[in-house]
Formats: sequence, structure tokens, C-alpha cells
Amino acid sequence: MKRLVVVLALAALALPALAAEKVKVTFWHAFGGGRTAFIQRMVDDFNYTHPGIEVKAEYKGSYRDTLNAAILAARQGNPPHIVQIFEVGTQMALDSGIFVPVEDYVPAILKFQLEDYIKPVANYYRIKGKFNSVPWNSSNPILYYNKTIFKKAGLDPANPPKTFGEVMEACKKIEATKAAPKCITWPLHSWFVEQWIAEQGALLANNENGRAARATDVYIDSPAMRRIVEWWKAMYDKGYYVYSGKPEDWDGANQLFVSQQAAMEITSTSDVTFMQNAAFENGFELGTGFLPIPDGVERNGTVVGGASLWLTKGHPQDEMTAALTFLIWFTNTENMVRWHKGTGYFPVLNTSVKVLEWQHWFERNPAYRAAFDQLLQTKLNRATQGALLGPFPEIRTIIENMIQAIFQGKPIDQALKEADAAADKALKEYNAAVGK
Amino acid sequence: MNTFAVHALLLLSVAVVAAPVVIAFIFSTQTPAEIFRFPPKFTIGSAFLDNYREVWTRYHLGLYMKNSAIISVAVTVGKTIVSFLAALALVYFRFPLKSWVFTFILLTLMMPTEIMIVALFELVSNLGWANTYAALIVPFLASATGTFLFRQQFLQIPESLVDAARIDGAGPLRFAWSILLPMSMNVVAAMAVIQFVYMWNQYLWPLVIIRESERQVVQVGLRMLTSGQDATNWGLVMAGAIVALLPALFVFLLLQEQFSRGFALAEEK
Amino acid sequence: METETHAAYKSRWLPWILLLPTFVILLVFLYYPTLETFRLSLYRVAFLGIRKTFVGLENYQDLFTNPEYRRIFWNTVVYSSLVVFFSMAVGLFLSVLANQKVRGWRFYRLMLIWPYALSPAVAGVIFLFLFNPQAGIVNYFLDVLFGIRPDWLTHPGLAMFVLVAAAVWKNVGYNVVFYLAALQNLPGDVLEAALIDGATPWQRFWKVTFPLLSPMTFFLFVMNTIYAFFDTFPFVDLLTKGGPNGATNVLIYNIYRDGFEFYKTGMAAAQSVVLFVGVVILTVLQFRWGERRVHYGG
Repeated sequence: MKRLVVVLALAALALPALAAEKVKVTFWHAFGGGRTAFIQRMVDDFNYTHPGIEVKAEYKGSYRDTLNAAILAARQGNPPHIVQIFEVGTQMALDSGIFVPVEDYVPAILKFQLEDYIKPVANYYRIKGKFNSVPWNSSNPILYYNKTIFKKAGLDPANPPKTFGEVMEACKKIEATKAAPKCITWPLHSWFVEQWIAEQGALLANNENGRAARATDVYIDSPAMRRIVEWWKAMYDKGYYVYSGKPEDWDGANQLFVSQQAAMEITSTSDVTFMQNAAFENGFELGTGFLPIPDGVERNGTVVGGASLWLTKGHPQDEMTAALTFLIWFTNTENMVRWHKGTGYFPVLNTSVKVLEWQHWFERNPAYRAAFDQLLQTKLNRATQGALLGPFPEIRTIIENMIQAIFQGKPIDQALKEADAAADKALKEYNAAVGK
Repeated sequence: MNTFAVHALLLLSVAVVAAPVVIAFIFSTQTPAEIFRFPPKFTIGSAFLDNYREVWTRYHLGLYMKNSAIISVAVTVGKTIVSFLAALALVYFRFPLKSWVFTFILLTLMMPTEIMIVALFELVSNLGWANTYAALIVPFLASATGTFLFRQQFLQIPESLVDAARIDGAGPLRFAWSILLPMSMNVVAAMAVIQFVYMWNQYLWPLVIIRESERQVVQVGLRMLTSGQDATNWGLVMAGAIVALLPALFVFLLLQEQFSRGFALAEEK
Repeated sequence: METETHAAYKSRWLPWILLLPTFVILLVFLYYPTLETFRLSLYRVAFLGIRKTFVGLENYQDLFTNPEYRRIFWNTVVYSSLVVFFSMAVGLFLSVLANQKVRGWRFYRLMLIWPYALSPAVAGVIFLFLFNPQAGIVNYFLDVLFGIRPDWLTHPGLAMFVLVAAAVWKNVGYNVVFYLAALQNLPGDVLEAALIDGATPWQRFWKVTFPLLSPMTFFLFVMNTIYAFFDTFPFVDLLTKGGPNGATNVLIYNIYRDGFEFYKTGMAAAQSVVLFVGVVILTVLQFRWGERRVHYGG
């Protein structure tokens, strides 16, 4: 009994010392707009329920800007603990050497969560059998459409177009009835190209999309690519497709759709919550559907898009533990449900999916259904696993430039060949620079 | 050319020059619905306070303005002092290797920071100054232009004044403070305008070296407004633009007479 | 040196103290990075320095043989020429107008030059909105007057036009300040002689006034070119990001992108060296040539 009192007394003395200093963790992400506040609310909840840790979340700009910021910060010896890195930055993150494989640091008692990921997500982020990062926001592209405009144009609001041909037909009707100034928009972003390649079961790089071994050849000059650009160009020439003029302009495309300048938009499912609110504010009915694919092609499914959370090296042990605690909490079952409902990103854990199904969430909120079904119906193969390429940002710019060149009249054959050569060159230089 | 035509043309030019900012202001007060109306609404909208408040707080423009103000004032004051002292040395002292010193300073006219951002980034990072005020201020504290402007000014001051001061027993610093400085106020004013505006409008260097919100400057904050929303609210973007331009414009208007006179004539030589 | 006449003080050490801050700053933050840029251009660098491999002149070889880079050089030349020409021409025109001995010329001058105080970022963002195909005012007027709604940023020529317009609008004031001052300082006797000779205003301007302005013209040419090379970065960054398909990709933007988005530090350094050489040539021209080949009055 005496021993117990002594121990308790010592513990009581020690407690103030322990409670004095909070362990500080910094978390950089690329979510602006309404999501910044949403993430902050979640972080506040964590800080409140974990008194010894203080997480500071910061919005850094686009995915590219966030990756740049992290690398530059690491070079300066001052990296944030947790960084959100977009999916195509995975190879670059691996090569940079500034991150540690998360799986190595997850305590055994929490490893169950890593087994809980839905298959397509695990498929993307498990590299050589290990999770280097914690999947967080996963998405795929879906078709948003304005049911109100559809009705005006005489189109069936319950039946959105599912193929390239059907989209064109719908646009013809919309143009004829002048139901909307333009028919369809999506950001001029290579992401959509990558998705359409995967839908056709085609590869973007050799060595099985860079998954079996490091990629050394990019496949841009391919029949799958041809199908995509031919349709896209036709849509542009006919005036059905519109975009803001700047490449990778997500906000611009959203603006065109919510202001009802365009009847349809293809963009990330992560915007469902935003779209619902915007549709309500602007007085139209929102519908969602699968990503339209080339005609006559078997639907393979989509590549998991979005980003994951990486842990940087070089921090003291207590900070690493705190950061991991946050990481696991932030992506656990309840928080994934919350995250999904607040944005539209997938609930990436099987248990989260079970909760949502038990709540009949998808039946009550059909707008969220399309992306979900699309993901779960995805075939699991190398194409939908997604490509791993080092200089992805540069290659994406090459592809986007190629599209713009084709719009301006460059013959498709030539454009594809040139882009293919440029991408191969970029890859070669990158591999040489990192010493591989 | 008859006077009426001249006035008419001038007024037209003034209107054309002012139009973009006037339009920006009008639309900065509107909601997205009002902005997309057809035909457009050319009057003040209903979101004046909302837009400006949101841009100031939620999009942190208030914080960025503070940072821009700090670095602009620091560089303006610092550079003026450093250039003044350098010109003092060049004009009023005899010392060996003076022409080498002169050339050393002169050559830097060919070295704007933009051509060395990659190396400068590495240097400043290695100094541990990334994301600090130091990174935004220190590289700009010396200037060939400033030195030569003051030098030009000093050369115009009659030698008799210097001789008189020396006879009176005044040391060089006394002389500089009580005689040179008051006589160089137009250069000081011109430099104040140019340096303040130059620093206030910095974009590329802060973009590269500042990655944390705490120290970001207003022009880069504007960049974040164009891509950090869910759907571009142009009213907010225009409000940001108006807010970002006011201080530099204000300084310019305050001192523009001196600027036009002092700087233009001095540069001509 | 002519300044020796003013050199009244004899202290041996004070001048060096006075010059110390200037020395240190210029040496550390201008000379050193410039030389370092030259050195970096000879390396292939990964992730901003995680790995460095010496490659000699390979980066330059790539620069001058790769059609992509040649296109960037060409874009830079075209863009700069347009910006310089129009900034100066419009500036000159407005200065002549404001110099017409009308009442309130000070007011007019002020109202014409104030955009100089705006940043390129602010000007860029405003023009981005003005030329927005759906919400912008330009397309509204074009629609009402001519029934067209051009897609400004998706066509290479139109995108270039918007970039030039924004840059010129922001910079005209600078030229007005200098040209107006120069016009006001012209020797009156030469102009009166031309008047007496019975020359028309048009002839008077081109045969007498303009040649007399040549020192100022040359000076402004250099200053405007430097503006066009460097200060126009925000326009490209905010409006086109070098697009469409690299049509508006100019050297300063590509240096940023190669250096800080694609992590090709060596290439960015090599391009910086090229830009530097351009600046050197211009500055040397200004100092040597400008003084001698211009027309002097009287």
C-alpha cells in the first residue's frame, strides 16, 4: 500500500511536467475553399481529445505547390511532419528520400487499420507489398449533370450519357434546344486522360505501368490515346466542350457548371458536397453518373485519384509518435465516414463503407452513389492500378500541351508522336538525375 | 491642334487607363450571381462588405498586407541609408582603388534577382532564412541605382559647401547629416516611392522562398485567390486585387510630384 | 575621376566603413548567386541538390538544339518586342498630348501614370477577369457590338494579345513620366526655328522633336526590355501558365517552372545564364552606344 502511495505521489509530481509541453505536429495539405475549414474542424477535434499533442494544419496551394513546398522545406532542413502528396507524386516522393515508409512506424496494435482498406485503394498505394503512405482522399471522376437543363432539352434526367457517342448526342440536343450556352466542361487536365486510358484497360507506361519495375517508356502514342483525343477534339471543334483557357483549372470548370453555362461537368467525386450546395443555391437539380467512356470498349473502371499522407524523416521520436497517432486517427473508421459525407471522397475503409451502408446513406443520398459504385465495380488490373512515373508533373504538362496543340489544329498523329518522344525524354532525364 | 480636341483625347485616354481598375472595383462588390448576369450589372453590388471581409480574413490578405508593409518599409529605409552612405564615400573621399569600387557597384546593374533565383534560393535556404523576413529584406538592402542617384545629387552640390563645412571643423558624418541630407530630399522621396512600390509588388522571389502563410506577401496571396477556391468567385478575386493595390498606389500618389521631378531628371543624365 | 574635385575628406578608413554594407550585400546576394548560377548550369541536379552530376555543356547543347527551347526564345523575343514597342509608342503619344500646353496638364499626367504603381500581379488578375470568356466585360461588349465571344486564352495569338495588353497597360505610365520630362526639357530655340521654317506639326515632330528625344528613347528601350524580360512573370503565371501549348511560354516563366516545378535545376540555371547574357548585352549597349550615336540638338 505504501509503495502504491509513493508511486502515485511520484506520478502526480511528474504529471505537471508532462502536461506542460505539447508535442507539435505540422500537417500540410492542398485543400482550399470550404475544405480548409472542414479539415480545421477535424484537427481541432483531434487536438481537443488528445491534450498532449497540437497539430497545426496548413493549406499550401495546389497539389503541385504542396509537393514543391515539402521538398523545398526538406532541402532547408525543416520539413513538416505530414504532407499530403497527390497520387502521381508517389514515385517522386519515393525517390526524394525525405519520407519514411509509414507502415514501418505504425504500432502493431493499430496495424488492423492498414488491413481495412478497400481493394482498389490498397491496390494503388501498396507498393512492393508495403504502405509507404496513408491513403486519405481517394476519388475518381464522375459525370455531374444539370437535370433541370436536361428536362428543358428533352433529355431523360434519370439517364445520363454513358459513352462518348452518347455525350455527343446529348450535346446535339442541348445545342438545338438552346437549353444551355455550352454543353459540357472539364478541366484541361491530364488526370482525365489517365482515367480514360485505364478505362480501356490500356497501360500508360512499360514495366506494367511502372509497377513491376521502374518505368522507362511512356505510352502516349497508342490506340487508346487516339480514341480519347479524337473525341475530345471533335467536341471542342463543335463547340460542345468548353474550358476556361487555363490548364488544370478546377475552379474554372466548376464555375462554368454551377453558373449553368454548361449542362454537364466531368470532375472529381470529391466535389459532390460542394456541388449539392451550389446546385441548391443556383436553383437546379443535380445528377451524377459514371465517367463516359469510348464506345465499344469494355468498362475497366477508374484509377484511384486523390492523395495520401506521407511522413517525413528527421524528427524526434515523440514527434513521430504524435504524428502517427494523428495519422491513424484522422483516417479511422468514424473520421472516414465524416470525411466522405463532408466532401464526397470515398470512405476508403471497409468498415466505413459498412457504416454508411447500415445508415442507408447511399440510398438517401443518390448523388454520392455513382462514384462509389464506379469504384467498387472497377476491375483490379495493372491498368486501373495506375502508372508510377517519376517526372509525372512534367509529363502531365506535356500531355496537356498536346491536347491544346491538337485543338489548335496539329494533326493527331504528329501530336501524339511528339508528345510521346518528349515524355520519354523527360523520363530518361529524370531517371538519370536520380541515378537510376 | 485645337485645345478642345486635345482635352477630349486626354480625357478619353484617362478613362481608358482607369477603366480596368474601375471595373475591377465595381465587380468586387458583387456576388457570383450578379457577376454572371447577362447583361452585366454596372453598379455596386450587394456583397461589398462581405467580399472584402472574406478576402481579408478567410483568405488571409490582412496578414499578407502586414508582411508586405513590413518588408517594403524595411527595404525602403535600409536601402536609402546604405546607398546614401556609399555615395557619401564615393564622392567625398579620396581612397585607393576607387574606380574599382565604382565598377564593382556598377556591374550589379546587370544582376536583377530574377536571373539568379535558383542559386539565390539555395543560398538563402542554406543560411536558414527560408520563410523569414530576412530572406525578403536583406538581399535588397544595397543598390547600384540608389548609390548612383545619390552620387548624382551630391555632385550637383557646390564644392564651396564642403569646404565651408570642413573649415568649420565639421566631420564628414556631421556634414552628411546637416547639409547633404536636407539637400537630397527629392532623391530620398524618389527612392522612397520606387523602393516601396518595387518591394510591395514583389512576386517571383516571395513565391519561391516563402512557403508558409505566416510570412507570405500580398501579391502571392492574390495568386492563391485565383486557384484556392471551390469555384472561382471573381468578386473575391477583384476585392483582393483592389486591396493589394491600395498601399503602393497611396505611396505613389503621395510622393508622385517628387518622383516625376527628382527621378526623371536625375536619370536622364 | 571627376569626383575627385569633391573629395574633401582624407580619412583612410571611414570610406571603407561606409561602403561595407554595400559591399557585403552586393557580394553575397548578387555576385555570389550569379556566379553560382553559372556553375549550376554545368550540372544535372535532382530534387534541388539531393544529387549533382557534372555534365559540362550538355544543358546548353539541349537548350540550343531542342525545338521546345528555341520556341521559348522566340516567344520571349516576340513578347518583349510587342510590349516594348507598344509601351513606348503609346507612352510617347500620350506624352506629346499632355505636353500640349493645356490647363491642368499636371492632373492629366497624374491620371495617365498611376498604373505604374500597380503590381503586375494585380494587373494580371484584373485582365484575367476582364477577358474571361463568360463573365468578362470585354466579351460582353464584343458580343453586343459584333456578336462574337472569342475564347481569349485558348488561342495562342489571342492569349499573347491579352498578355501584351496587360503588360503595356501597366507600364505605359513609366514611359509617360520620362518622355514628358524630356519633352519639357527640349531646347526651345530649335523648335522655334522649325516653326519659322514653316514645317507642319507632323514634320516638326518627326524631323526635329523625335531625333532630339533619342537619348531618352534609347534609355527607355533598355528599361522597357528589362521590364518585359523579368517583370512580366506574374502575367504568364496568372493568365496562361505558358499555354496554350507553350505559346506564351517565355524564358522567365520557363526558368521558374524548370527550376521549381520540374526540378530541373541545371536547365533552369542554363536558361538564367542566357537571360543574363541578354541583359549584359543590353546594358553594355546602353552605356557605350547610347551616349555616342544619338542626335544632339543645338
